[in-house]
Amino acid sequence: MNKKAGPMFYVFLVVFVFIVMFPFLWMLASSIKPLSELFGDKAFNPFTNNPTLKNYVSVFVDYPFMRYLWNSTVVATITTVYTVLVASFAAYSIARLNFKGKPIILGVVLSVSMFPQVATISPIYIFLKNLGLTNSYLGLIIPYTTITLPLSIWLLVTFFRKIPFDLEEAARIDGASLWQTYWKVIMPLAVPGIFTTAILVFIAAWNEFLFALTINTADKFKTVPVGIALFQGQYTIPWGEISAATVVVTVPLVIMVLIFQRRIVSGLTSGSVKE
Amino acid sequence: MQTDIDPKGPIKVDKQPKKKKKKNDTVVGYLLVAPALILILAISIWPVFQSFYFSLFDLRLNEPTKSEVHLNYQIDLDRYLQNYPFLVGAINSEIDSGNSSEELTEMKVTLEELDESIRENPKAEENYDVINEKLDSFENVPDDMKYVEIDENVAKDFTSSVKAINDDLITINENGELEKGDKIVGLSSALTEIVVEPNFIGFKHYKENLTDQRMWKSLWNTTVFTFISVLAELILGLAIALLINKAFLGRGLIRASILIPWAIPTAVAALMWKFLYDGQNGIVAKLFEDVGIIDRMSMLLTTDTGAMFSVIFADVWKTTPYMALLLLAGLQTIPSSLYEAASIDGANKWKQFVTITLPLLKTSLLVALLFRTLDAFRVFDLIFVLTGGGPANSTETISMLAYTLMFGQTNFGEGSAISVVVFICVAIISGIFIKLLGAELINDGSGKK
Repeated sequence: MNKKAGPMFYVFLVVFVFIVMFPFLWMLASSIKPLSELFGDKAFNPFTNNPTLKNYVSVFVDYPFMRYLWNSTVVATITTVYTVLVASFAAYSIARLNFKGKPIILGVVLSVSMFPQVATISPIYIFLKNLGLTNSYLGLIIPYTTITLPLSIWLLVTFFRKIPFDLEEAARIDGASLWQTYWKVIMPLAVPGIFTTAILVFIAAWNEFLFALTINTADKFKTVPVGIALFQGQYTIPWGEISAATVVVTVPLVIMVLIFQRRIVSGLTSGSVKE
Repeated sequence: MQTDIDPKGPIKVDKQPKKKKKKNDTVVGYLLVAPALILILAISIWPVFQSFYFSLFDLRLNEPTKSEVHLNYQIDLDRYLQNYPFLVGAINSEIDSGNSSEELTEMKVTLEELDESIRENPKAEENYDVINEKLDSFENVPDDMKYVEIDENVAKDFTSSVKAINDDLITINENGELEKGDKIVGLSSALTEIVVEPNFIGFKHYKENLTDQRMWKSLWNTTVFTFISVLAELILGLAIALLINKAFLGRGLIRASILIPWAIPTAVAALMWKFLYDGQNGIVAKLFEDVGIIDRMSMLLTTDTGAMFSVIFADVWKTTPYMALLLLAGLQTIPSSLYEAASIDGANKWKQFVTITLPLLKTSLLVALLFRTLDAFRVFDLIFVLTGGGPANSTETISMLAYTLMFGQTNFGEGSAISVVVFICVAIISGIFIKLLGAELINDGSGKK
């Protein structure tokens, strides 16, 4: 559609972006307030006259927040690398090779991606507990496969299908083996798709909560979402620290989203739009 | 396009007949899919069946005798051998000192008979001495050696006899007739607990849950949450998508700001909203009070409707942008020529929306709805962090309930039953959507174009 955007439209956009971003802006404003201004009448002032970084210091000094960040990074990175690798083989095969049962395989993948995590948690928890893998990185990487593997197969199949089939046929006629075709013809073309998938998988693994909450209960192995959520004590909630921690996890995310927005959008919409 | 195939090199002509090539494709195809399928089978599908299996048992992780599934009667040989020989020894020394020797001798005979009946079981006999040795050298006894399946009659006979002996010993001890009475009673009472009864209970968890108010309440809460939040997200998302489906400056900025709520962890978003909703210092609570949506700031998180509203509002904030994004992508595939033709024919905007936009958006709309509905139905982190299911379970969803049963009360049997219920609900929901979508979901864009 080639409708021209009028001034009212831009007003609408500004309001829309403000509403969407409001919670973050408020957290940012609160994170630099001294404790006394987080409560009482001053709590509703967006700006403070006595900005302080005390909350940020406290997040890293009084809480093992650095440890949480590290744990999340390790778990999400390993999960991403290994699921995308396994999924790329499966997706290549489903998208490019001819064999029976492909719709069934894809159907299984799709149904598994719809599984509620809570339906698998009791056997997985008991299994990991018996193996002594609770409170370890592997203890999260294994169950995260449930979430990330179907997601990556689904996305990668869509990306692999978009690569022209002629190239592959040409390579094969030229005598390249399937392995060569995969690594030298398909892979270079699939890199953007694989990268997009990796971003989405990383975000999914980074944000996961239920498994992280139940399997890794020791502070040493908590991930960021669980760590922040459990900042709240029995009676008091340290809002200053929570605001600061929220800003700390959100800022890199905002940067990442700004850089990769096109890729993320193409990944999110790839499965749902008929082209 | 660059390939590393040397153009000057000899070109091997594929001499394989077509049929063979196809067969080769099949083998390689299955081989490449295999690792992923095995992982999915082992980590996703198998646990669902296991959940169902666990739900048929009275499985409680904090009770040693119920911490595993037992279909048959078992005896804990490890525990038995830590008590039986010492009990007999202690009884012997009491007999030697002449304390109620008649009764004690009788007991000793019964105990020895029971011991023989246990050792008649070949597996028990086999492990008996091994475990004894391990105990003597203070080694740990592995679980698979510890538990030995025994005949139901032997087990029942054992428990009832030992219980009778224990009762008698307590009476004798109370009369002060024993030297080391407390120790003997301790040993004999330990023996009453070594038989592990099968904890298979069939569909009892399901029967109980189907008549349980809390289960239905949580299912209702989940439905209310899912229905209202997805409907609101759909309407708002579609409106936003229609509005921004045009060329304008700063598309990238809009797209990024849309993605941020989607990208942050739900737990973090929930925590932010908890701060904004706070009854004393929450800015959103204050705004709502000023506008007149609520009477008092504290109503948001302390009343039933307030809490449900808060949870839905936070969810709508987090996922409407995502919904708008999916629908926008769908809208962009509709050729603008259709609208031009329609407006030449004199169709007004609404008519265009109903006759062009909606039908062509159907697939995108249903796919977005399907994924959002399933996501909303299994909602956990948002509620866990924001309200904890409260106040008074008014926002407890079915996933919350399963979590509380399993990890709050360590009742894995019942928790598994609830998770099977969640699974069935999700299966029904996706079944309905897939029926509506037809085969489009899987065949989408497949095949050579």
